[in-house]
Amino acid sequence: MNDPPDSLRTYVRAALDLQGYEFSEERIAEITLQFTRIESIARTILPPGVAAATEQDPGPAPVFRP
Amino acid sequence: MNGSALEIARRIRSGEVSAVAVLAQTRAVIEAQDGSLNCFTATTFERAQREAAAIDARRSRGESLPPLAGVPYAVKNLFDVAGVTTLAGAKVNAGNPAAAGDAHLVARMHEAGAVLVGALNMDEHAYGFTCENTHFGATRNPRDHARVSGGSSGGSAAAVAAGLVPVTLGSDTNGSIRVPASFCGVFGLKPTYGRLSRSGCFPFVDSLDHVGPLAATVADLAMSYDALQGRDERDHACAQRDIEPVGETPALPAGTRIGILGGWFQDWAGPAARRAVQMAAAALGATQRCELTSAASARAAAFVITGAEGGALHREKLLTRYAEFEPASRDRLVAGSLIPASWLLEAQRVRKRAYLEALDLFGRFDLLLAAATPDYAPLIGSESFTVNGRTVPTRASLGVLTQPISCIGLPVCAAPLWPDPGVNLPVGAQLIAAPWREDLCLAGAAVLERAGVARPISLEQ
Repeated sequence: MNDPPDSLRTYVRAALDLQGYEFSEERIAEITLQFTRIESIARTILPPGVAAATEQDPGPAPVFRP
Repeated sequence: MNGSALEIARRIRSGEVSAVAVLAQTRAVIEAQDGSLNCFTATTFERAQREAAAIDARRSRGESLPPLAGVPYAVKNLFDVAGVTTLAGAKVNAGNPAAAGDAHLVARMHEAGAVLVGALNMDEHAYGFTCENTHFGATRNPRDHARVSGGSSGGSAAAVAAGLVPVTLGSDTNGSIRVPASFCGVFGLKPTYGRLSRSGCFPFVDSLDHVGPLAATVADLAMSYDALQGRDERDHACAQRDIEPVGETPALPAGTRIGILGGWFQDWAGPAARRAVQMAAAALGATQRCELTSAASARAAAFVITGAEGGALHREKLLTRYAEFEPASRDRLVAGSLIPASWLLEAQRVRKRAYLEALDLFGRFDLLLAAATPDYAPLIGSESFTVNGRTVPTRASLGVLTQPISCIGLPVCAAPLWPDPGVNLPVGAQLIAAPWREDLCLAGAAVLERAGVARPISLEQ
């Protein structure tokens, strides 16, 4: 996997801080890689960017029931 | 233990053998073989002795016996078993108090006369497809001890494949029944989301978690499934539906329309998996191809939902006890806990759209066919695998063919096929039906079994 872009590095670091995680730089780098992988898969179903726009004809997010 | 579950129950019912004797034989087999396989994390032989003796006592009093009377079985260690700590594969849970009662499905198996002999190994918190557990060891594939059993219900599949017990229970959030069933060569049923109660099970991803049986024959699978059905208000997702018994010989109705899934399911199936699907299609007389065009997005949605819900579930313990978590998945869990809410909401919308597309597909087909895994079981320790020129991480990606189906809650039976003569390794096929039509999944698997195409080949052969 390519190096994560700066926007994701910044997001992960800020989100970890916000949630109260305290990790070494090595761990943060690994978590960033994992998050980048999730983002790369999520990107296929989302508008671009970390903060997806949900105001454009989103429809309700249903509780799933077959 | 030699013999299918139904054969064991028949012999006990007829008085040919006692339940206590069956248990003694089962215990001997487990004690002789599990050291090299590592299926069990706990045995419950004292309880089993009580349950078996109770069955024998009922018979001696002339009472009619329930359908699984005296049948030994075991459960993935995320099911509550009274008196046993529910590990969910996690060292971080090892210090928890023992469960006060049985999970709903364990209670249902008890009512059906089955005898619980233990709890089975799994990927930590069900987050993985290989059953390589750093704290409790890897469960080895009985077909080739150098290979993974698959996960996360690896102990459940390997115990059946090795003949330690004829039936086990597992859970399937993204493929955790079907992947190990495919790798170990046994039948596995992931019912419709909400069909079977999950109460008393350690959760992973509430909106995706399913539970179901694994077995060596379709009849055993079907009869176990019938025993497990029933309403349970303690699981909010459990559907308020009457029991719809399948019976031990489910039959495929004449004129059943079967579609072979292409697109995503073809792209991610390697040569052996494609041959397995061709074998199944030939036995079923299926020739028509079809596509679930939203499979890729459903898989992506499952990935996001799993990360977000799983990460949120474990966040508190990750904050304080990170070092005790499984090294192979803890950073993925932390990363999942950072997923923005907007992604999760969009994933749920994508999921709904994929579900509606599947319903449309079931207007043209009754049963869909696809491979369960991209290839044979990988070697233990494999960090990545390659399928059709694409290399992806093993632990996170072996469910690439199962995730789109569980994401939209459809019932699936995994059936073991043997695509290469001379290679003692299976690859499973998924038989997928519309919601609540587990009967068709099982009937399709029964066709493959009767044709001799799908079978758990004896390890002695």
